[in-house]
Amino acid sequence: MSNTKSLLTIKDLHASVEEKQIIKGLDLNIKPGEVHAIMGPNGAGKSTLGYVLSGRDGYTVDSGSVTLDGEDLLEMETEDRARAGLFLAFQYPVEIPGVSNLEFLKASVDAQRQARGEDAITSADFLKEAKAACKQVNLPVAFLKRGVNEGFSGGEKKRNELMQMLLLKPKLCILDETDSGLDIDALQVVAEGVNSQRSADRSFIVVTHYQRLLDYIKPDFVHVLSDGKIVKSGDASLALELEAQGYAWLQKEPAEDELEG
Amino acid sequence: MSEWLESAIARAQGINDWLAPKRAHALELLANTKWPTRKTEAWRYTPLRPVERTQAKVISDKVDLSPVSIADLSAIELVFVNGQFDQAQLVKTLPEGLSISLGGDLGSAEQTDALSVFSTIKPERHIFGLVNDALAQDVVVVTVAEGVEITQPIRISSLLSQGAESHTRVQVALAAGSRLTVIEDVQAQGESFNTAFVEYNVAANARLEHYRFALQTGSNVAIGGSHFNLHDHAKMNSTIVGFGSDLSRLDTDIIHAGEFADAKLNAMYLLDGKELFDLHATVEHAKPNGKTEENVRCIVADRARAVFNGRIHIHRDAQKTLAELNNRNLLLSDKAEINTKPELEIYADDVKCAHGATVAQIDKQALYYLQTRGVSRSKAQVMLNFGFINELIDLMPNAALAEWIRPIIRERFAQMEVK
Repeated sequence: MSNTKSLLTIKDLHASVEEKQIIKGLDLNIKPGEVHAIMGPNGAGKSTLGYVLSGRDGYTVDSGSVTLDGEDLLEMETEDRARAGLFLAFQYPVEIPGVSNLEFLKASVDAQRQARGEDAITSADFLKEAKAACKQVNLPVAFLKRGVNEGFSGGEKKRNELMQMLLLKPKLCILDETDSGLDIDALQVVAEGVNSQRSADRSFIVVTHYQRLLDYIKPDFVHVLSDGKIVKSGDASLALELEAQGYAWLQKEPAEDELEG
Repeated sequence: MSEWLESAIARAQGINDWLAPKRAHALELLANTKWPTRKTEAWRYTPLRPVERTQAKVISDKVDLSPVSIADLSAIELVFVNGQFDQAQLVKTLPEGLSISLGGDLGSAEQTDALSVFSTIKPERHIFGLVNDALAQDVVVVTVAEGVEITQPIRISSLLSQGAESHTRVQVALAAGSRLTVIEDVQAQGESFNTAFVEYNVAANARLEHYRFALQTGSNVAIGGSHFNLHDHAKMNSTIVGFGSDLSRLDTDIIHAGEFADAKLNAMYLLDGKELFDLHATVEHAKPNGKTEENVRCIVADRARAVFNGRIHIHRDAQKTLAELNNRNLLLSDKAEINTKPELEIYADDVKCAHGATVAQIDKQALYYLQTRGVSRSKAQVMLNFGFINELIDLMPNAALAEWIRPIIRERFAQMEVK
């Protein structure tokens, strides 16, 4: 049944955090160039999915499979998943005082280039690229010298995530609630950045609670995640439907399941 | 008493110079001092075996040594070679308002002034401070005249050749409203033994920027102190960088002798192998409205041992004192050891005083974040460890020194991670 054209294939994924099952049988198939939105109520497992795919400590896969470009993602270390083309833009990027943003970006790019067998980029060339990326996401160049995310506002942190995406050129980007805490201007900057990166060989998973972001980043598919599973999939119009109805209708289903069971 | 101390006392008894009354006093105190053991609180985690066993000897033959050059740093060099002040390495013409002299060369009035400071800022409780009182060949006296700002830093280097024993002593007086930067450094080759003490008197409204580098490793024994007396509205900013050796011990004392004094102390040490580094930092808030901020960070690898004792004593009169002590430590191996002890003694009731000491492994969230960008776990660890120290390097006011020390520390990290 494997589709050779698929970039990401998740089959019947079950995953838990501290012995508590959060993902409970999730299937998802993403082809190159597609943008998939995953929406759902709080606690549905939206962020957990990103952590599981990136291999965060403490997030255990109980069963199921995930392949990226045909390779078993779950067998890889976190850094190897990144080198294979996976990028997770965090909802709350961590602050790392003492490590400069530039040093961090260069180390990331160096590691990925090395993994792909490419020559190392010179510091001077990299600085040029990094400055251009700063400009594109509307961050002052001075932010390259500051500690990673240190003292950045919420919006600046999100733009810094976006800048990393521009420099790392991943195959699959997971944007974890990138819209949270952003005002409408910041949201537009981030959305434009993401849209500029859309291409036939790059796919996106846009995780969001609200439809608002999807006004700016138009998804090809919308999935509703509830209680660790995708309960409904559709096109962009599904997001509008959710906006109108809210998620309340989802909450009833588990109760009905229990009655049937 | 140890054989080493007995022989040190015997050697000191023969010296008769302008410091004679001070030396006699120190010898009297030493005669009544017990050789520290594990039961001596101030030396509990720092055994003195390396002192007892040292083969280092006073070398009186002239040896040519000069301090390492630091790019972009043009300092006034005050150099000791094997404990002797090397007058030839001091620039002939000093900036106006600055004087640097060997105590023995001073006129009697100036000597009297110098004697009134000698060993009054450095507390008498430190046994090796007393040894230094008794055995230092002379005292180099540095003074900055009232209201004068000396832009060029003074670098005090104590250089030791293989197997040398040295005892160096400097006292620095900043007159009211003056400004000065002083860098203290010891560079020792092979197995050596040194005590290096500097006393600073910072008069009203004067500002001192201070650095102390203790980077000698291996089988060196390095014991010393930097002691500061702050008068009204005086300010000091001190940075200490230490690597360990068989025995490295540093004592700092900051005395708020006037009101509204402001002291910052940032200390970082990085230990590897079986090295030991012991920092005892004491702050005396004797007067009201003083401010102290201490940041001490330590990374210990392999089987190395770090000791930190941070004492803040707020006297009854020292109302409205603000004092903060923050000590963070990282252990890189199961056998690495940190003994940290913040000690607050507060006798005034209207003060703000905070302290914290943590011993931690690396920040897992930050590690994960770096890994999600493709950085390997081991490289991420090095970056984060370096960042932990780099935060304090970023705070060094002198850019030339920061740029000099950064790669040295980076290299040390690389060595520490290999094991």
